[in-house]
Amino acid sequence: MNDTIIKVLYIDDEENNLLSFKAAFRRKYEVYTANSASEGRKILEHLSVHVIIADQKMPQTTGVQFFTEIAITHPDPIRILLTGYTDIQALGQAINDGYIYHYVTKPWNELELHNSMKNAYGAYKSRLDLKNKIAELEKTNDELNRFIYSISHELRAPLVSAMGIVNLVKMEGLFESSGEYWPLIETCSIKLDYYVQKTLQYYKNNKTDSEHVEIDFKTLIPDLIEVYSYSDKETYFYTDIKQEMPFYGDSFRIEVILGNLISNAIKYQKEDEQNKKVEIQVTISATEAEITISDNGMGILNEHLEKIFTQFFKIKTNHGSGLGLFIVKEALNKIDGKISVSSSSLDGTTFKITIPNVK
Amino acid sequence: MLNRQRKLLLIDDNEVDLKINSKIITISKLFEEIVLCQSGKDGLAYLAKYAEDPDGLPDFILLDIQMPEMDGFEFLERFKNFPKVVTEKCLVAMLSSTLDFGDITKAEANPHVITLLKKPLFLKELEELLKK
Repeated sequence: MNDTIIKVLYIDDEENNLLSFKAAFRRKYEVYTANSASEGRKILEHLSVHVIIADQKMPQTTGVQFFTEIAITHPDPIRILLTGYTDIQALGQAINDGYIYHYVTKPWNELELHNSMKNAYGAYKSRLDLKNKIAELEKTNDELNRFIYSISHELRAPLVSAMGIVNLVKMEGLFESSGEYWPLIETCSIKLDYYVQKTLQYYKNNKTDSEHVEIDFKTLIPDLIEVYSYSDKETYFYTDIKQEMPFYGDSFRIEVILGNLISNAIKYQKEDEQNKKVEIQVTISATEAEITISDNGMGILNEHLEKIFTQFFKIKTNHGSGLGLFIVKEALNKIDGKISVSSSSLDGTTFKITIPNVK
Repeated sequence: MLNRQRKLLLIDDNEVDLKINSKIITISKLFEEIVLCQSGKDGLAYLAKYAEDPDGLPDFILLDIQMPEMDGFEFLERFKNFPKVVTEKCLVAMLSSTLDFGDITKAEANPHVITLLKKPLFLKELEELLKK
């Protein structure tokens, strides 16, 4: 800030005032003067200044009129009004409308005007800084968007090709041909794909605005079960969906929430359980959806219950990413939903969520 | 399957995927002939070649979304300008690894696209689609 010389334009119809202003400030400021509003406008056309000082009482165009006009064409410079008499009404209006930053009474004293100009430049500077920061953020945001798009395409495409090859190997009966190697490659690819998908979900949850659409749980729940039980046919699903009225909500987030919970209910079954089951109950009212997802799986240790919604929390014995429930919680936060959990190693785990019906 | 489909046109810029998917479909014996095109432009040229000779047209097109120069959606823009013989005979499904919500809705909204299949291609999904 110290390096920049502040550029000031001073407009006054009295030549003497212009001269004494120049004499007082030329050493500290880069001073431009004009003896009328129209002269001032001419200067502004060729030059950008930081601060403009104008006398209120001028023939043809007054200071307030001038400032009101240039507020549109030259919004950046900070405007200071000099006024010899107290035309409160015009002044008050102009200040309230934001056309004037400061006013200084005439005859001005050097120190007061100096301080006023310094403050004005400070305001100019912080406005500029803010503008630059915003531009910078917009750029970063834009890059992030493109990065996410490339994750969902370029980064995932070769991974999916690899999964296709494993698929082909299975079809040709070669899956067991190299000991464990093919199954291991499959496990790694699935895991990486899972991370990619969770990362995208997390990001999209943070970025996307809520869009409310009508949601029919009687089709949504079976669809989600089909998607997530694709690789596991052992778990039996019982559903009880009571939806007598329309429900409106954010379909992307609700799918993310339910999808993660259903996938967990499948993933965390007891291995030796003969009768693996998951129960899903949905009750829709005019104000909310109440959804309960219970399993008879391995349960969650009491001491872990508090931590399950934190990012990257996972237990040693399992293959989770530590992202699923964290994303569930984040997504619920976005749509004002709530979640509670109860669990025991005997009966399994029950998640209960409520999501407001937004209509 | 009642009548086995004759010809499949696979459009994908990615050589590896072209290889994998044509192999999967060959093993499935769902089609008698598989034609591979490495770009949307090649695909259009192939269709144009048979516009006057509809017997040679593919019954089914599997179209990638992300391709340089002409992507899947641009391909469809040109595809819809073909005479009816072509657009009615050739059913189009998109085949992509995309997770981008915009791509998915755009594909589903396109009247010329029956569905969006996800990579990796699973035979079961293709079979179910062809049954319909």
